[in-house]
Amino acid sequence: MGTNWVDILIKAFYIAKKDAKVYYFKAPNLTYGLLMPVSLFLAFSIAGQINPRLIASGLTSLVILFGTTSIEAVAIVLEKQTGTFERLLAAPVSFFTLLLGKALSGFLFGLVIATVILVPFASVSETAVANPLLVFIAIAFSSLTFSALGVLVSAYANWVPEAQMLSNFLRFPMAFLSGTFVPLELMPSHLEVVARFLPLTYSVEALRTSMTDSAITPAYLLDILALGLFSFAFLAIAAKVLQKRID
Amino acid sequence: MTHLQNAVAVDGLTKYYGKLLAVDRIDFDVEQGSIFGLLGPNGAGKSTTVGMLAGLTKPSAGKAIVLGFDVTHETIRAKQQIGMVPELSNVYDEMTALENLVFAGQLYGVPRKEIRSRAKELLEIFGLSNRATDLVGALSKGMKRRLTIACALIHKPKLLFLDEPTTGLDVQSARLVRELIRRLNKDGVTVFLTTHYIEEADQLCEQIAIINRGKIVALGSPEKLKARIKGVKVIEVSFSKTLANMEGELQHISGVDEIHTFGDEFRVFAKESADIVADLVDYARTRGLAVNSINTVKPSLEEAFIKITGLDSEIMMSEKERIKPERGGRSGNELG
Repeated sequence: MGTNWVDILIKAFYIAKKDAKVYYFKAPNLTYGLLMPVSLFLAFSIAGQINPRLIASGLTSLVILFGTTSIEAVAIVLEKQTGTFERLLAAPVSFFTLLLGKALSGFLFGLVIATVILVPFASVSETAVANPLLVFIAIAFSSLTFSALGVLVSAYANWVPEAQMLSNFLRFPMAFLSGTFVPLELMPSHLEVVARFLPLTYSVEALRTSMTDSAITPAYLLDILALGLFSFAFLAIAAKVLQKRID
Repeated sequence: MTHLQNAVAVDGLTKYYGKLLAVDRIDFDVEQGSIFGLLGPNGAGKSTTVGMLAGLTKPSAGKAIVLGFDVTHETIRAKQQIGMVPELSNVYDEMTALENLVFAGQLYGVPRKEIRSRAKELLEIFGLSNRATDLVGALSKGMKRRLTIACALIHKPKLLFLDEPTTGLDVQSARLVRELIRRLNKDGVTVFLTTHYIEEADQLCEQIAIINRGKIVALGSPEKLKARIKGVKVIEVSFSKTLANMEGELQHISGVDEIHTFGDEFRVFAKESADIVADLVDYARTRGLAVNSINTVKPSLEEAFIKITGLDSEIMMSEKERIKPERGGRSGNELG
């Protein structure tokens, strides 16, 4: 029997829909996902008089990173604690479907909060968006990557505080080292090398490129490819970790 | 697909957690349409066995065929045919009873047109119709338990695994759940039950496997298990006073095999032929005691369990109650 991708996607969608209802679209979560990166960004950018395009791309990437991982990182942990994860495991869905569903909810949440931030910001600051479709693709890949990162954290952690600590350990250094506040070319060369290993770098770059250039450039394609690879790697490692823990 | 005559066929099933041997080469079959009970103390390997049979965890060795599907290699197909009710109710507090059932139906691939009607039918059967649109967080423990069972039945499984279905329930809810189990079985569902309530296993199950330290130590119908201690007389006796080393002294009465103490009551196991009652009365007289009560009882499944496992049946109860965790609250607002 071959893989039934339609069935996988439908069931992943049901899991995502359930997660959205149970975990994501609640006022405190929305507020945290937006307020934290916005405050962080304003604190560092107002004095520096940064170009609005730089602000828009950095801020959007940060909002996606914080918004998706905040909940994704604890979603599986909470399910493990309350026993509902066992219910998902008992259902006739593959492990891949289960994790895809988990990542999908974070992905959809990322799309929503990125739009909520970017559209008003671009309107108010009169920032022209060169190619909205490419911007959307960059947002979509960023959401998927950070959501998958959240799933990975959740796979490792046993308790909510552990998941929170792990995700902060990853998010805060990433926020400062990925060209979000300071463009990469202005950073010391050794930190630039570090930045190349961080998914947020590619998210910021892809958004920045698509906001300034309407054509699909090789740099943009590379950024999207890197985000795709990060997503796949995070999900694959998360699946291995969880499977090992269950067995 | 193989072994269609049995709902479950287990052959040398083994599970290691690291170096810890949790289930040790167990073998048994579960007949289609029966109620099968896996009885054992805490940590005996019951949940691990169910976990392997339900496809939640992979066996380290051995084979398990569930409704004709190998659970290791045809896991998803096996899962499609079974319902699983874990020890702790695992419904989503943030969703309504109806939404929980619909979600379960979606996961099991119940056709869209049928999900709602099936969910409503189950709410009716389980006496939850009037709470269908209430958030599950507001339901009582017994109602959550019933809803958990209902969720496991949304896809009309042929085999239902119930892990400690009545643990922590009040008497009325527990009776209701037992009644539902009987009704489901009558409707053709094979029930695989794990329990530490010996009486529950005796009442419900046609076949019982007793598991201890990962091994099946006895297998058969409740009657057959009781027959294993046939030829054994069980006398419950209590005296006006409990003396020091009384158990040791009673043990020396000729024909006494074993003594178990329950508070101020002694349960004396002796050979059928021995005239133990008279000897116990004599013992009381010589020690200046009065006999408060003395009864000869028919060996129960509990006695059989004690004899077979060498464990005190109360251990099963007290350990379970002690380790039973309170379900962690889930707010959905815990952020990192």
